[in-house]
Amino acid sequence: MNLNTEMRPVISMRGVTKTYRGAVEPFTALADVSLTITRGEFVVVVGQSGSGKSTLLGLLSGIDRPTRGEVIVDGTAVHALPERAISAWRGRAVGIVFQFFQLLPTLTAAENVMLPMDFCGMWPPRERRERAVTLLERLGVADQVDKLPASLSGGQQQRVAVARALANSPALLLADEPTGNLDSRTSAAMLELLAGLVQDGSLQTLVMVTHERGAQRFASRTVTLEDGRIVPAAAAGNA
Amino acid sequence: MPSPRWNKVLRDVWLHKPRTVLVVLAIAIGITGAGSVLNTWSLLRRVTREEFRASNPPSATFRTDSVDDALIARVRALPAVGDAQARRTVIAAVRTANGPRTAVLFVAGDPANIRIGIVHPEAGVWPPADGQIAVERSSVEFASVTLGDSLEVQLRDAGPEPLKVTGIARDVGLAPGWMEHVVYGFVSRGTLARLGAPSSLNELQVVVRDRSLDQAAVRRVADDVKRVVESTGRRVADVNVPVPGRHIHAAQIDSLLFTQGAFGVLALLLSGFLVVNLIGAMLAGQVREIGVMKAVGARGAQIAGMYLGLALVLGLVASAVALPAAAAIGLAYAQFTASVLNFDVTGFTIPPGIIALQLVVGILMPVVAAAVPVLRGCRISVSEALRDSGIGRSSGSTGFLLGRASGVTRPLLLSLRNAFRRRQRMALTLLALATGGAVYLGAINLRASVVRSVDLIFDSQHYDIVLRFGRSWPADSLESALASVPGVARAEAWSAGRAAVSRPDGTMGNTFSVVAPPLPSRALALAVESGRWLTAGDTNALVVNRPLMKDDPDLKTGRDVTLIIAGRPTRWTVVGVVQSGPTPSAWVPREALARILGGGRFDRAVVARAPGGPASTLEIVQRVRAEMARRGIDVESSDLLSENRRVIEDHLLMVAGFLGVMSQLMIVVGGLGLAATMSLSVLERTREIGVMRAIGAQHHAILAMVQVEGLVIAVASWAIAIPLSVPMSVVLGRAFGRVMIPVPVTLLPEPGGVLRWLAVVVVVSVAGCAWPAFRAMRVTTSAALAYE
Repeated sequence: MNLNTEMRPVISMRGVTKTYRGAVEPFTALADVSLTITRGEFVVVVGQSGSGKSTLLGLLSGIDRPTRGEVIVDGTAVHALPERAISAWRGRAVGIVFQFFQLLPTLTAAENVMLPMDFCGMWPPRERRERAVTLLERLGVADQVDKLPASLSGGQQQRVAVARALANSPALLLADEPTGNLDSRTSAAMLELLAGLVQDGSLQTLVMVTHERGAQRFASRTVTLEDGRIVPAAAAGNA
Repeated sequence: MPSPRWNKVLRDVWLHKPRTVLVVLAIAIGITGAGSVLNTWSLLRRVTREEFRASNPPSATFRTDSVDDALIARVRALPAVGDAQARRTVIAAVRTANGPRTAVLFVAGDPANIRIGIVHPEAGVWPPADGQIAVERSSVEFASVTLGDSLEVQLRDAGPEPLKVTGIARDVGLAPGWMEHVVYGFVSRGTLARLGAPSSLNELQVVVRDRSLDQAAVRRVADDVKRVVESTGRRVADVNVPVPGRHIHAAQIDSLLFTQGAFGVLALLLSGFLVVNLIGAMLAGQVREIGVMKAVGARGAQIAGMYLGLALVLGLVASAVALPAAAAIGLAYAQFTASVLNFDVTGFTIPPGIIALQLVVGILMPVVAAAVPVLRGCRISVSEALRDSGIGRSSGSTGFLLGRASGVTRPLLLSLRNAFRRRQRMALTLLALATGGAVYLGAINLRASVVRSVDLIFDSQHYDIVLRFGRSWPADSLESALASVPGVARAEAWSAGRAAVSRPDGTMGNTFSVVAPPLPSRALALAVESGRWLTAGDTNALVVNRPLMKDDPDLKTGRDVTLIIAGRPTRWTVVGVVQSGPTPSAWVPREALARILGGGRFDRAVVARAPGGPASTLEIVQRVRAEMARRGIDVESSDLLSENRRVIEDHLLMVAGFLGVMSQLMIVVGGLGLAATMSLSVLERTREIGVMRAIGAQHHAILAMVQVEGLVIAVASWAIAIPLSVPMSVVLGRAFGRVMIPVPVTLLPEPGGVLRWLAVVVVVSVAGCAWPAFRAMRVTTSAALAYE
């Protein structure tokens, strides 16, 4: 293992503030947040509703732009990327798993996984399906390859969504409440699966926003947000 | 194997079949409508030009004493003359199953070899033998005859002669007989002799060698020909030089083609609105998926490519349906219009360029129409797209204001607010329907304007019958004989002739009719546009109408002009311009014209029937003819003024009628737009309808909600169309005036027309909303709440 590579920060947020223009008055979702996450980490972000967890993921994925501060992901200054370039960058560098799976209903499981490769021109077209099937096999849904999302269970849909997020071998996987729409047994299985992916190196870095109580035991680090600020680890532990 | 993104596009299309079918239908209707019009336009344009040119129309026609082979040879010898031939034209009366009709009979010098104004035998025998007649195709229906029938033809006071209809022929150079209310026939010289007319030929038709000459140049050639004819001691009564290559009804054909072209473009625009609405709605349902695709790496251009590609494919499918339909409809409509105008499209095909144009428009139109909603949809940020919860937009201030209106029930309020929910979609739907309505009202206004113009022309003519006599008679004899007929209120002896303007360059203008009533006249006082009408004491005063002024712009009030009448130059002063029909005409004092024509005798009279008398005008005509025959006065022909009015109306209202048909087609397209909008509205609100059902809404409440929403849009479009019809009426009235005759532009919509438009739009709305309302009623609570 190359220590230099391992210890290189995948995420570097410096002095990031995000303020939304509200109907009545501006609302600050994140205030002066600085955070560094290195390769191989599985970071769980926890906090109350409205604490800024989803905003944090939005800024890391380039879906949102910071009002102030810098967001550097895998060496790319995301906050400075022009709009036209951001989708292509995201497709290659970041995988996203949503709470409500967000699979395209008219595409089969395999096709959903192939979609990011198609959009980003990753992998030769002939190899894309094979790669999608391999990913789905690894995630335990090999027998659902040619089924439409509507015929899959919630857990199966989320596994397909994870496979889709891994399709382009991104440096970073962001998961926004990936178990929020699953029952407790399926949730536990999903957390185990994600942790396993980090451990076996399939997944380089994972940042997961969750309300799931047991999630922290799978993580290498927990970041707690409160009113848009990161709570120091000691204080969080006391809380 | 297609890539996942194209799989998605294809499966979305399949998943939303009703919406896809609507889009394809909207494009197909637009392309079919515009394509049909374009095909008709291209075919008619080609047919009217090529067929007319192929008939080798005369460059100039001369009426003289007699034309023989020696004269024809001398004229042909002129270097600028390409060919010459002789014929005679005779006015007669025919008895048909529908009553007496005026007939125009043509006698060719060599009917088997007509080279100028070629006549096409269509059925039966050609050329007609002695005792036979070939009827011109456009007169067959008007004459109510078929092959083998016997047609009674009468010249002046000779006895009626039965002629056997043995042929039907077509002369594209003639104005259609049904429109002119004339029976055209072709007979032999022998038949002419039997009818009691001289069998000699008195018309010389000439074509110039260089067919590219303009009217002025042809006129100069005609002047040379005239000198040759006159050098033989013959008198040239008149010379007619039409605009080269221009059909006698070119103005009507042009206005028809123009309105067709304009409405084709409009139909395309309206269907474009429909496509914008439908693609917009399609994208509205895809916002979240667009967000997801962007989240997994799709660029805006890639997503735009997917949806524009989809629009392209839909355009291709729609074109595959629309192009054959447009070709079939265009051909059928061109065949119909051509037959009305006395042309034949057989053997003509739609130019490949026109088909290619439709294909290009069919493919590009949906892409262009989709471009704005697609680009707007693709610009949406991922976070915005992922937050999208489908329809839920409020109706804004309009809905708020509606909510404050007193006496509005909750379900009605819901319908009102729903109508204002998707403003852009509603605006386009309104625009489409209102445009159709504005044209509808504009066509009604134009029709009313035309009828008012015709009223104005005929209100100034206080007589019912025009009589022409074989010889001239003293005015007293004619007037006293006519006044003695029971049912006749009054009669005036008139004089009439043909004249042509003698131009400063020595050439002659086209001949026109000169009518000369007594002064003051109780039968005629035309509405004056400028200057004045004729008064007692006038000697060389000349009054002209606008069509004559158009032909000879020198005929302005106050100008002195030289007219050639009966071959003699005569000086006149233009004293006024009057409103009359579309035919170039002039009026002079009776005695002045009678002196020129010789002897102070008159060959024409007008008769007014006693108001409220029991006898019909036709009965009075019969009594007049009988009385005149008893006194030995030969009546050559009798025309009813009402018939003349119908002729003018047939000419003028044809364009207004066509506009009416086009406006109805546009209303149908607008209705389809409303149906599409309401279908989308129901599709998008399926969940909402399910919730309403869950809280107790019954079938009739859902039905009423959809129908009232449609009615709100319909009534709004009704209201918008009313002010919109004002500029439309101005445009239509001015365009009509330029091509046909000036009509007073009616700015205020006809109240009856406004009510009819309301009735039409309500029917269109109820019909257009029937299917969406039925769909809404069939929505079950469980299915609706599961709907995505």
